[in-house]
Amino acid sequence: MTAEEQFNKVEEGEVITGRPFTVTRDTIQAFADASLDYNPLHFDDNYMKNKFGKTSFDGVIMHGMQNFALITRTLTDWLVPRGGFHRRLETRWLKPVQLGHTITPVATLRNKKRTEKGYWLLFDVEVNNQDGMLVATGNAMAEFLDVIPGQRR
Amino acid sequence: MTILDLDNFETDFWKDVDKRATWDEIIPGELRDTTPVTLTQEVIARYAKGVGEDNPLYFDEEYAKTTIYGGIIAPPSIHILLMFACTTTEDWMRSPGTINAGQNWSYHVPIRPGDTITMRGTALDRFIRKDRLFAVHENTFTNQFGEVVCTGRGQTIRPA
Repeated sequence: MTAEEQFNKVEEGEVITGRPFTVTRDTIQAFADASLDYNPLHFDDNYMKNKFGKTSFDGVIMHGMQNFALITRTLTDWLVPRGGFHRRLETRWLKPVQLGHTITPVATLRNKKRTEKGYWLLFDVEVNNQDGMLVATGNAMAEFLDVIPGQRR
Repeated sequence: MTILDLDNFETDFWKDVDKRATWDEIIPGELRDTTPVTLTQEVIARYAKGVGEDNPLYFDEEYAKTTIYGGIIAPPSIHILLMFACTTTEDWMRSPGTINAGQNWSYHVPIRPGDTITMRGTALDRFIRKDRLFAVHENTFTNQFGEVVCTGRGQTIRPA
């Protein structure tokens, strides 16, 4: 299928709900071992009793970039089987995510956009916790291409 | 060429803390000290699994060949790992209490097993807002062909 045909098959307004993710010390350790981010914010209960400027936390927090990775997974799990290429993700972290919290990313295909050479998809992203509280927002872009950049076959 | 070794990474982020630039010492535009790393299929798989990925595109060459990618690639988010893999223990990204405020990343050429990735990183800017000390990070990753893999901008709140 060409990029244009793939582009024509998806519809504006589609809502993509990611898998819920519950934060535990094990998930934090696994993320740290994968990302090499061992900041004590994510491990040290005593350290987290400090104040951080004007901010204080109720215990250790999940890596912000875990959220980034989960949003990416939500998008790529939908895009890859449709031939889409993940092009951009912008995120803002609104609230810390703590042990025991369950977060769920949701991406909405807001617009399809033709450019001179491109077939683009524009997504709005929201991540809510188990109480329905918004913990992160974002925007993403994907593209349909006939050839992935850099490919050598 | 240095193959990234996930098992011998310095996990104590307090080590060398006194050698790292504080917010006062960060010079916008100054290049950070970085080293290229080579990513094997095993490193890509460990990264993917660790961040919760299970798409066969990152693990299964036979499946990956059937996709537009033509073979295994790394998850686009692998810059999360590269930020630490390419920098030294004296880099201020490791400073305890560094709080991530938001990121935007743009992706171009996918990373494939065997690729050697080079990081160019700076603090593009720093500012104080609502009594908090911010740094704006700007990073470009390229592969062994000189192609841009991804670029990213992030903001962190620096420990006071």
